[in-house]
Amino acid sequence: MANVRIERLHKEFRGAGGIVHALADLTLDIADGEFISLVGPSGCGKTTALRIIAGLETPTSGRILFDGRDITRLEPRDRNIAMVFQSYALYPHMTVRQNLEYGLRKRGAPRDERARKVAAIAAMLRIEPMLDRRPLQLSGGQRQRVALGRALIRDPEVFLLDEPLSNLDAKLRVHMRAELAALHQKVRTTMVYVTHDQLEAMTLSDRIVVMNHGVMQQVGRPEEIYSRPANRFVAEFIGTPSMNMIEGQVRTEAGRPLFTGPGITVVLPRDAPQALPSSGRATLGIRPEHVSLVAPDAPGAIPARVTVSELAGPERFHFVAVEGGSIIVRTPAATVLHPGETVALGFDPDRLHLFDGTGEDAPALR
Amino acid sequence: MPPRNAARLYPLVLLLLAFVAFPLYWMASTSLKPQTEVFRVPPTFVPETWTLRHYVELFWLTDFGLLFVNSLKVCLVSTGLALVVGSLGAYALARFRVRGKEAYGRLVLLAYMFPGALLVIPLLLLFRQLGLTNSHLGLSLAYLTFAVPFVMWVMRDFFASVPVDLEEAALIDGASRLGALWDVVLPQAVPGLIATGIFAFLFAWNEYLFALILISDESLRTLPPGMMRFVSTTDTNWGLIMAASTLATLPMALAFGLIQRYLVTGLGAGGVKG
Repeated sequence: MANVRIERLHKEFRGAGGIVHALADLTLDIADGEFISLVGPSGCGKTTALRIIAGLETPTSGRILFDGRDITRLEPRDRNIAMVFQSYALYPHMTVRQNLEYGLRKRGAPRDERARKVAAIAAMLRIEPMLDRRPLQLSGGQRQRVALGRALIRDPEVFLLDEPLSNLDAKLRVHMRAELAALHQKVRTTMVYVTHDQLEAMTLSDRIVVMNHGVMQQVGRPEEIYSRPANRFVAEFIGTPSMNMIEGQVRTEAGRPLFTGPGITVVLPRDAPQALPSSGRATLGIRPEHVSLVAPDAPGAIPARVTVSELAGPERFHFVAVEGGSIIVRTPAATVLHPGETVALGFDPDRLHLFDGTGEDAPALR
Repeated sequence: MPPRNAARLYPLVLLLLAFVAFPLYWMASTSLKPQTEVFRVPPTFVPETWTLRHYVELFWLTDFGLLFVNSLKVCLVSTGLALVVGSLGAYALARFRVRGKEAYGRLVLLAYMFPGALLVIPLLLLFRQLGLTNSHLGLSLAYLTFAVPFVMWVMRDFFASVPVDLEEAALIDGASRLGALWDVVLPQAVPGLIATGIFAFLFAWNEYLFALILISDESLRTLPPGMMRFVSTTDTNWGLIMAASTLATLPMALAFGLIQRYLVTGLGAGGVKG
């Protein structure tokens, strides 16, 4: 096991279309035994970062250190890492047993040690009956377990996972997610997990790194990322359905900060950001669960008309039209609204997010 | 294609088959006729008298056995070398980021299409200086001029169709580049290796011009130029030639029969796998 330090990592790709900056100035400390997720839309640099840690790509500049040792220039095989691929990458011509022990064989482990470790891993992942089958004869979940086993068997210092669950169907994915969490509890190896699924990142990680366009947007514990997003991109990327965003102006009236958008005026709480944007342009964000249905004559009530109501098991999502656009409201399933119905909305004043400007990366005002 | 339409194609297939197979049948049947029946008009399609005389003559009166062994040696060596060199080259073309890779790939195809007749004289001059004329190794090397580009061209697509993840998994599991190639990539490319190997072997087995010009020592001759000695100015022993041809064809026909399955997946897999 090891802690990982990523220092000022840059990666450029030169292609026909010029230079692409896949990764810009990434610095990150990962603690020994930590489960950390890199999350972001495709092309955000998360996979590039993982491949550089693995040694499958060379960074343009910057360093990677395991326990203080600079490993930036080492070959993958000299790093004592293990990796689970999105496609599992099981060797199709080898049996499950041969797949599992390939890494041990390459490191010259004697036969009895190999047999012992294969038995232990197979028992842990419940794949003993399949040891003599080939990958093509296994189901998706079984292949996934074998891929995990092949990585675990070598007791790597760092465990890298590249979207390991995205090829599974929805039900199995939830199941394997729980298994993965339990596995990390058991082995306590440093894990770096790449995913575009923010829910996976939220449920599994000790900390989350949100990335976009090769730049780290925010790093923090899941609840931190969820409740205090650093900028508009993080706020919109984390959480389903997305945070509601209303673009408008901020000004001070009678000593109180006031947000006005199309058809909306919201009095910001007293402890709202002191430093208001000089331009006056701002984006107000509020999560669907922090919007409530209020009486039409309540102070600050925002009139809206229901367009669509979706039942999602124990809760409902209502899409309602306000003057400036559409807002999603999350309520218990018992709250039934019909399309066309007129309602009034209230925003929880303690759960408002205010962003400086209206751009994608508008920083949060605190 | 639905079976109904396939059935309609059978007559066409049979026609093509007859066109291709009849000369082979004629060769085999002629080799089993006595000399007098060979020239009879109208010809007999099934031999009236069956005889193995030509085959006996072939082994007792000519050095067919020696020619056969010489051919086998040269073809095996050139095919083996072509597979090793060509595969490594193809792998590099498929995987590595090299400047001018595409241009180099096209040059390989050009080299393959270059007529052998234009190469043979320069090769002869070069081989004389190097002492490679009248040598089986020399002839094998000469065959690499078409075998290597061919293997490279076909195997490149094969390697490109093997998922990169597999190799990367092997690299992380502790393999070197060559180790990953050997342990993981080559086993996926076996059908391709067999298919290209067979073709490379076949080219060499049938090759006449290089063999005639680069080898002048009778004891080192290979089959195609060796069999030409059965044709003399006064007399052509057709029965003998057909017997030799039949025996020379046999190993290839057997090989094709055995690996047919691989051949179909092999030639198909390179371009459109998955």
